[in-house]
Amino acid sequence: MRSILSYVKHMASVEWIKTFFFAKTAPLITPSHFREFPHVTDKECTHCFQCMMICPAPGAIEVIRTEKPGEWKPVIHLGHCIRCGLCVEICPELVLDSGRVHTKNAQDGTYMQFQFHITVNPVICMGCGICSVACPVNKEIDPQLAAKGTSTSDEVIMRVYKGINTVFHEEKCTGCKTCEEQCPNRSVMVARVLEPLQITEEP
Amino acid sequence: MKKTVDVAIPLGPVHPIFKEPCRIKCETFGEQILAAEVELGYMKKGIERIMVGRPWQEVMFLAERICGICSVIHNFVFIETMEKISGVSVPDRAAYLRVLANELDRMQSHLIANFSYCYTIEHETLGMYLLNIRETVMDMLEYLTGARVTCAYIVPGGVRFDPDEEDLSRIMKAMDKVEEEMLRYIRMFEHGPLIGLRSKGIGIMTAEQAELVHAVGPTLRASGIPSDCRSEHPTYQMLGFTPIVRTECDNFARIMIRFDEILQSIDIIRTIIKTLPEGKIRGGGTIGRGQTTHRGEAPRGELTYRIKSDTHGRIQEIAIQTPSIMNIEACARYMIPGGTSVADVTSAYISSDPCIACTER
Repeated sequence: MRSILSYVKHMASVEWIKTFFFAKTAPLITPSHFREFPHVTDKECTHCFQCMMICPAPGAIEVIRTEKPGEWKPVIHLGHCIRCGLCVEICPELVLDSGRVHTKNAQDGTYMQFQFHITVNPVICMGCGICSVACPVNKEIDPQLAAKGTSTSDEVIMRVYKGINTVFHEEKCTGCKTCEEQCPNRSVMVARVLEPLQITEEP
Repeated sequence: MKKTVDVAIPLGPVHPIFKEPCRIKCETFGEQILAAEVELGYMKKGIERIMVGRPWQEVMFLAERICGICSVIHNFVFIETMEKISGVSVPDRAAYLRVLANELDRMQSHLIANFSYCYTIEHETLGMYLLNIRETVMDMLEYLTGARVTCAYIVPGGVRFDPDEEDLSRIMKAMDKVEEEMLRYIRMFEHGPLIGLRSKGIGIMTAEQAELVHAVGPTLRASGIPSDCRSEHPTYQMLGFTPIVRTECDNFARIMIRFDEILQSIDIIRTIIKTLPEGKIRGGGTIGRGQTTHRGEAPRGELTYRIKSDTHGRIQEIAIQTPSIMNIEACARYMIPGGTSVADVTSAYISSDPCIACTER
């Protein structure tokens, strides 16, 4: 229990008198290690859309064209962004930056990786083929599929085979979920499986 | 249930002392409380329903935001449940770092719970001292994870960021400062005559009553029952953990247990920083299909996650049992009735550390 004398001695020191008369409130600066809203750097965005895929808050980030021809940039809507920092971690070109995320990732060799898996519900799928026509990767592999709606190629990701949409090459999927959005009865679903990893040193 | 009573005093949803809205209807006979009923429903958000159909990287953030005060433990138990479903293991360094973040979060939660109690006994000075030292703990959480609340630090297979030597030494120095201040505040609380008068012998819940109503956490340990989920967690057992128990069963015991747990957390953090093993912080691993139940120790008690996931780790069914569900019922059934004054209702209620956001997700 402190006595009155100890308080008087404490208040008679120079430091206390200076703090009492001349101290101001601490300036409100955000520390540099705080994971704030990501800001867009000058690096080139390759519109891979992985930041949009990983974002847990709907409507927080979108990747759009700017006025300069051929340039894309991510735009973050601050009202929805929850400052999780996942978009900062996953971008392969390091276009977004926030806090110490990039410094830590470079130091530790940590990164995140997506794997895409396509599942077709065989009971509900009616074989309409909208998903395989809508798929942008299918369009590159076999242009006849988008033009005519039919295909005999086995190099496409998926096509209607024997009445049901069948997946041939799941590894080519880029996870855009266009097929899932266009499906009339939610029978094709794309799972974006995220794995947080760290580079192992060679022994 | 409708019941006609002589005088019913509501402690309404809007109350200066409650952190979150809930209504306590007390049936009184003069100043004596005969019975109490707690009415919930002001904060239901339907989080469990939103979680269905989403993968772990979205559900993790929803789980964190169930409760702002104990967000790290929701993250921790959810990710541990998903890892248990899929058989993903965690490297040692990451396991220690998870416990570090968890204990820092436990300290700040106990500090704000005790601040809330000091408000109910109208000792705002001590309450503000506790909130002041809580800022130091939040700063340490910010150095470690990048955010003060809803840190999103724990991911399947490990943690997100690795603290360097400077961060760890800063945390050690802060722990020394927090311990010095906490010893002073505990002395103030323990020996303050008006504090003891207002807390000792108030809100009694005996051990038999606590077992009957399934109380959990510090509320239970203050009645003499040594039950703590951290006793079954392998990382905590490696660090040497034993639950803190008191036998007085009243408000004073519950608050003192929280103060003692703050000191225990400081010791655990010091042990972690001294014995932190080298190695990787992420072990990799994808989440798969399965169904399981897993529990952990939140600052308020035992937290249970029951999850069923489909082929690629998306949630099919989820049920979360938070500690405040049990504790609020324990409070309304045993701690509040039998009180000699309506003024003791708020202090008995807040001493059981309710978190209405957790109770109604």
